[in-house]
Amino acid sequence: MSAPTVTVAEQAAADPLTHGIEKLVHELSVLPLKGEHLGIAESYSPGHFTLTNYTFWMLIAFALTVLFFVVASRKPKLVPSGIYNLAEAGVAFVRDSLCAEVMGPEGRKYFPFIGTVFFFVLFNNLLGNIPPALPGTGTLGTTFMWGLIVFTVYNGIGIKKNGLGRYIKSFIPSGTPLWLAPFIFVLELISHFLRPITLGIRLYANMYAGHIMLGVFAIFMGIAIEHVSATSFVVLPLSFVMQIVLRGFELFVAVLQAYIFAILTAVYINGALHASEH
Amino acid sequence: MHDQEEEVVIGSLSVLGAGLAFGLGGIGAALGIGMIGSKTIESMARQPEMAGRLQTTMFIALGMTEAIGLLGFVLAFVLQGVK
Repeated sequence: MSAPTVTVAEQAAADPLTHGIEKLVHELSVLPLKGEHLGIAESYSPGHFTLTNYTFWMLIAFALTVLFFVVASRKPKLVPSGIYNLAEAGVAFVRDSLCAEVMGPEGRKYFPFIGTVFFFVLFNNLLGNIPPALPGTGTLGTTFMWGLIVFTVYNGIGIKKNGLGRYIKSFIPSGTPLWLAPFIFVLELISHFLRPITLGIRLYANMYAGHIMLGVFAIFMGIAIEHVSATSFVVLPLSFVMQIVLRGFELFVAVLQAYIFAILTAVYINGALHASEH
Repeated sequence: MHDQEEEVVIGSLSVLGAGLAFGLGGIGAALGIGMIGSKTIESMARQPEMAGRLQTTMFIALGMTEAIGLLGFVLAFVLQGVK
């Protein structure tokens, strides 16, 4: 056939919605701050550090966390007020209704680690809701790394408390028939190795999906303004309302995901502590 | 020409697969989250003094269920990259 054929890519470029979504996905991907023409593989050669858009905002969230707690704890008062009150309420929430609720009174010993996880994730998630900023937790690299840190810590605590032999033995519940033991052991091993992966994917996908949703409604608004037609008068106000509703929902999800990440960390540590009891 | 047709077929099938992965994955997770919510409300109504501990357990279960649904979401993005 000699008729001019239109390739898939050309068709996609002509459609404003597809074009917009492709641009959105590109904006949300990990890009080096300098030299955007370089692929991510080239800019990550060994011994070569590149600040990406996500790491940049993660460092800012990190600085804000430190700043918040330093400013808050500068003048401790018996009767808390203002920013000190806010910080104290947050810390008391993590210590009492997160650590102590899951692990009992001894859970307060693990508050420093769980508190670090909680506030890191919380500040990153919340910062991602301010328009030019990206959530540091919106990329798989960060969240998988946190999953691995949690994995290492809870296994380390389990081995330290129970001893290596007893900790591994605890993967098989007492009273299991001998022929079933290898299967149970392998299943338990798989479930343990899935934990960091699900921790990472849950946080990443929540943050990423939220930003995609917001972006899609923003694209709808852009198209409605650019190509004015009868439908514009329906799409434009509807998208605007959805933007506000979704933004509120995103704020809720940001806090909820930090809570879930921290509480699952507490549950895993609790499981490792009491491994040899059942 | 033949190669191009093949590319189009594979591309459209991967998009279809991505949609199915997210959609079907979402059904299971949605049912699970609905059950968790309804049972928690039921239990809270029966024993309001247990509400705090029930809520904690609910969030743990919610997080675990949600992860399964989100695996479909990630898989959808992986499938879309298939060319």
